[in-house]
Amino acid sequence: MSERAEFEPKIVAFVCNWCTYMGADLAGTTRLEYPANVRIIRLPCTGRIDFNLIIKAFEIGADSVLVSGCHPGDCHYTSGNYHARRRWILFRELLQTLGFDLERIHFTWISAAEGHKWQQAVKEITEKTRKLGPYKDLYQISGAEGLEVLSDAPAVAPEPLPGGEVHAAETAVPGSTGVEALRETCRRLLAEGSVKVVIGYGRRGPVFVTRPEEVEQLIWDNHCLANLTVYLKRKEIRGLGRPAIVVKGCDERALLVLEKESQIDRKEMHVIGMACKGMGQAKCETCDVHVPRFADEVMGYADKHPAETGERWKALEFLLALPPAGRMAYWAREFERCVKCYACRQVCPMCYCERCLVEKNRPTEIEPSATAKGNFAWHIVRAFHLAGRCVGCDECTRACPVGIDLRLLNLSLAKAAEEHFVYRAGMDPKAEPLIGAYSLQDKENFIR
Amino acid sequence: MSATISQQALRELVTEWIRQGKRVAGPRQVKPGCVFYAPLESSAQLALAGFIRPANSVKEFIFPKHEELYGYRIAGNGIELIEAKQPAGEQVLIAARPCDAASIPILDHVFNWDYKDELYNLRRQLTTVVTLACTAHDDACFCTSVGLGPAAERGSDAMLLELGDGEYEVRCLTEKGEALLGGKVQASERVASVSAGPEKRFDAEAVRAFVKEHFDSPFWPAQTLACLGCGACAYTCPTCHCFDIVDEGNIERGVRARNWDSCQFAMFTLHASGHNPRPNQPSRQRQRIDHKFHVYPEKFGEILCTGCGNCTRNCPVGMGVLSVLAEIDHAQHIRTRPDEGH
Amino acid sequence: MHNIYEPDLMKVIETRQQTPDVKSVKVRFLDEARATEFSFRVGQFGIFSVFGYGEATFNICSSSNWKDNLEFCFRRVGCVTEALWSIEEGDVIGFRGPYGNAYPTEEWKGKNLIFLGGGIAMPPVRCAVWYALENRADYGNITIVYGARSVADLVYVDELDEWAKHPKVRVVRCVDPGGETPDWKGEIGFVPTVFERAGVSAEDSVALVIGPPIMIKNTLPVLYRMGILPSVVYTSLENRMKCGVGKCGRCNVGSFYVCKEGPILTMAQLERLPADY
Repeated sequence: MSERAEFEPKIVAFVCNWCTYMGADLAGTTRLEYPANVRIIRLPCTGRIDFNLIIKAFEIGADSVLVSGCHPGDCHYTSGNYHARRRWILFRELLQTLGFDLERIHFTWISAAEGHKWQQAVKEITEKTRKLGPYKDLYQISGAEGLEVLSDAPAVAPEPLPGGEVHAAETAVPGSTGVEALRETCRRLLAEGSVKVVIGYGRRGPVFVTRPEEVEQLIWDNHCLANLTVYLKRKEIRGLGRPAIVVKGCDERALLVLEKESQIDRKEMHVIGMACKGMGQAKCETCDVHVPRFADEVMGYADKHPAETGERWKALEFLLALPPAGRMAYWAREFERCVKCYACRQVCPMCYCERCLVEKNRPTEIEPSATAKGNFAWHIVRAFHLAGRCVGCDECTRACPVGIDLRLLNLSLAKAAEEHFVYRAGMDPKAEPLIGAYSLQDKENFIR
Repeated sequence: MSATISQQALRELVTEWIRQGKRVAGPRQVKPGCVFYAPLESSAQLALAGFIRPANSVKEFIFPKHEELYGYRIAGNGIELIEAKQPAGEQVLIAARPCDAASIPILDHVFNWDYKDELYNLRRQLTTVVTLACTAHDDACFCTSVGLGPAAERGSDAMLLELGDGEYEVRCLTEKGEALLGGKVQASERVASVSAGPEKRFDAEAVRAFVKEHFDSPFWPAQTLACLGCGACAYTCPTCHCFDIVDEGNIERGVRARNWDSCQFAMFTLHASGHNPRPNQPSRQRQRIDHKFHVYPEKFGEILCTGCGNCTRNCPVGMGVLSVLAEIDHAQHIRTRPDEGH
Repeated sequence: MHNIYEPDLMKVIETRQQTPDVKSVKVRFLDEARATEFSFRVGQFGIFSVFGYGEATFNICSSSNWKDNLEFCFRRVGCVTEALWSIEEGDVIGFRGPYGNAYPTEEWKGKNLIFLGGGIAMPPVRCAVWYALENRADYGNITIVYGARSVADLVYVDELDEWAKHPKVRVVRCVDPGGETPDWKGEIGFVPTVFERAGVSAEDSVALVIGPPIMIKNTLPVLYRMGILPSVVYTSLENRMKCGVGKCGRCNVGSFYVCKEGPILTMAQLERLPADY
């Protein structure tokens, strides 16, 4: 216990310059004493806070973090704190999924006149943190109860792996007329010159057909898993000229998001939608976009089975049933395998930044090393940067060579988006982007 | 005269090694459908059947994905360097595949090219490799095209060969293998039959010639457009060894570490001036094939590839080197294969 | 365990700002014994580091005859060089080396030397110039043509003056058109043009050309027209390097590992390499 008595919590406070910083200043000038445990980091506005800052604070030794800004309606920049609030709502959901100790992260609105409130907040947070104890590393894993939750499957007779099948022959979907119609359409488009390249599925993987006679390379079967929209932003592909792109309903959602974010011009491509009966992936069980809705033409198996909206979050159940420490242990174990290959990033159509945050080194925001710290920071930030943007194509999960169930992170944020904001990325072309917008009604019951 | 061991006895050995404090790693089903080489906490975790090969390679046990080279402490304008912990503790890689074991002597060349990388060498010396010969292969395997095979002995200290009834023939190939397994096996007359392995998919010499002569060919863009530039192939490859060196820490102290890196990343060869010798994915893919099938053989006499197929299996878009090599083969009309699917 | 990646600790003796974004730094081994036993050959490079920021590769631009300290010169462009910009006398940085090959100073003996440098590429030429001047009797005429984008971008300007004072040494300095100041007394023009104008004799000469790719590209035809063969035109190839010891797989140009078999090579060698640099 003596260690506890000597423990002085380190509280890092990210505060906005115009309200909370002034409030803290007021506390000082009016001689209100508050614990010296707090280290203030002044920002122009809470809207500036990216969550890698908060993670960084914990990485470098903070025991608790306080984020504070102007009251809604009082933001010096009009709406910065509204944007921040929306992000905080989503970020807390992500942290809950990760098993993070939400007791250590606090949000408040403190105005320039509220010196007392600052004093109170800092006092309470300090005492609370003192009771919680030090936070030795970001990914503190609790003892036995977390780690035993998931044991390995027995070594005898594991599931046979699919192995590296290189599909020599196409597997026709029963009753499908998709592939012939697809090839004919592409032959015509290329011959008449209205597109210069068809981005489609080939036997081995994505193919880029530039000549009408080569359309035989195109296939349509239950191995057509890739989300081809990722190629629309790659410069080697753009250099080939106006594309026709083959999309499933799930892939098409990415087109809507990309267009909303001004990354593509829908008019500069020809979209061939393939109605799909399902590819046997986990996402297919709860899919309600079997038929692409905004394509220039649709072909393939048009018979669809009913959508099951209620079951969409089923995969999260086991995780949410665990106590926070158990969730943290699960993710620690998963991320231990991460090798930072960035396959998850490269297959994602939404990860189109010219230079990714993890590649910046002035300063280093996310450590590129495949350590516990580096892996957690990467996956948290990537998941969060996709909040409200991820369309659930699950390519990241399929691409991960070490089998991390990344879709759980995306699902938890998609669930938060739907439950809090009735929002689904890539469904409604008229909807405002989730993170780019805010509402005066966004719930803030967690903000003091 | 040969030697055999039962599966049960083998697992008991694994238990014993773990008890002795050795670090034991082997194929392990970490979750349904995912078998990886991973440290074993108990012999029950060792997966011996039901899969072609683990999705990763054994290189991480000799060349870790993140390795601290040394630490430093900053005090005023003085620096104190803190030596890295010297690799210690014996290590056993059990049930490695021949294509993994072979990668180790191949990597020895580059890690000892004039400058001897002691971190690598010490770990290597502390490791005993017990290989399990393959009885099956899939379409991604091509060990036979690079001079190896389902029971290739290169890099193995001992080899286990399935006899089909829960018993394994044991061949101790080196002193280390003998030290580990000698005396723990039963004398026997049984000799395992070795499967033929995959059919040869290309001629490595012809590939080398092609790559050397066709640097500027439109072949590269045509064949590599699908590549998304991730590191899945390089990081699961037994022989890829490119790395980056970074400083990580705070204003008081930190470590200088090396991390795996991949020539497929866009910034891999980016100069500070902004110039990039390999500014697009085709040039980076070309480098991969060039390095493995032309440069490394020219420098060290061995192909930097063991035909394990991990690159193909792990590639999100189904590429990997085999597809490109098969296309080179096709382009060169070296081997006519009328029954080819492509 | 001998750790090839562990650096020597170097004390910063002096930093000098050469241009608005270029500094030169002199360092000396903290360990006196190491300082005494250390030697390198002119043209080799080292990997310098600022602890906490990382490592970067620079040519050792001091002459190999100077035992007092090592010198390197850098432009402030990235993470490590930004950190190097703030170091001061007395600070400690790291050094690994010497790596790479060296200028074939033995082969150059008895020859007339032509040094052509552009901008920040002067420092690797500078060390060769000093070496030649210090072994003056071994070499014939020395011609140095050095140009930069503007007057402010010229580095080691005071040394250019000193070199000109040596016997049979000719120094021509130039700036790009538009880069001159009103009191500029040197040439105006790009290095290849100015060099051609200078009417240097090609007899029994070797040339060292280091500069941005465009400068090299335009200088080579001039040299070849003069009759200087590619086999005696040298350059220092700059590629991104990390480990310096041939292991990290980053710097290879085809089969040519810049850190092990380079960075110095002739144009004849370079022409045989793929365009991978």
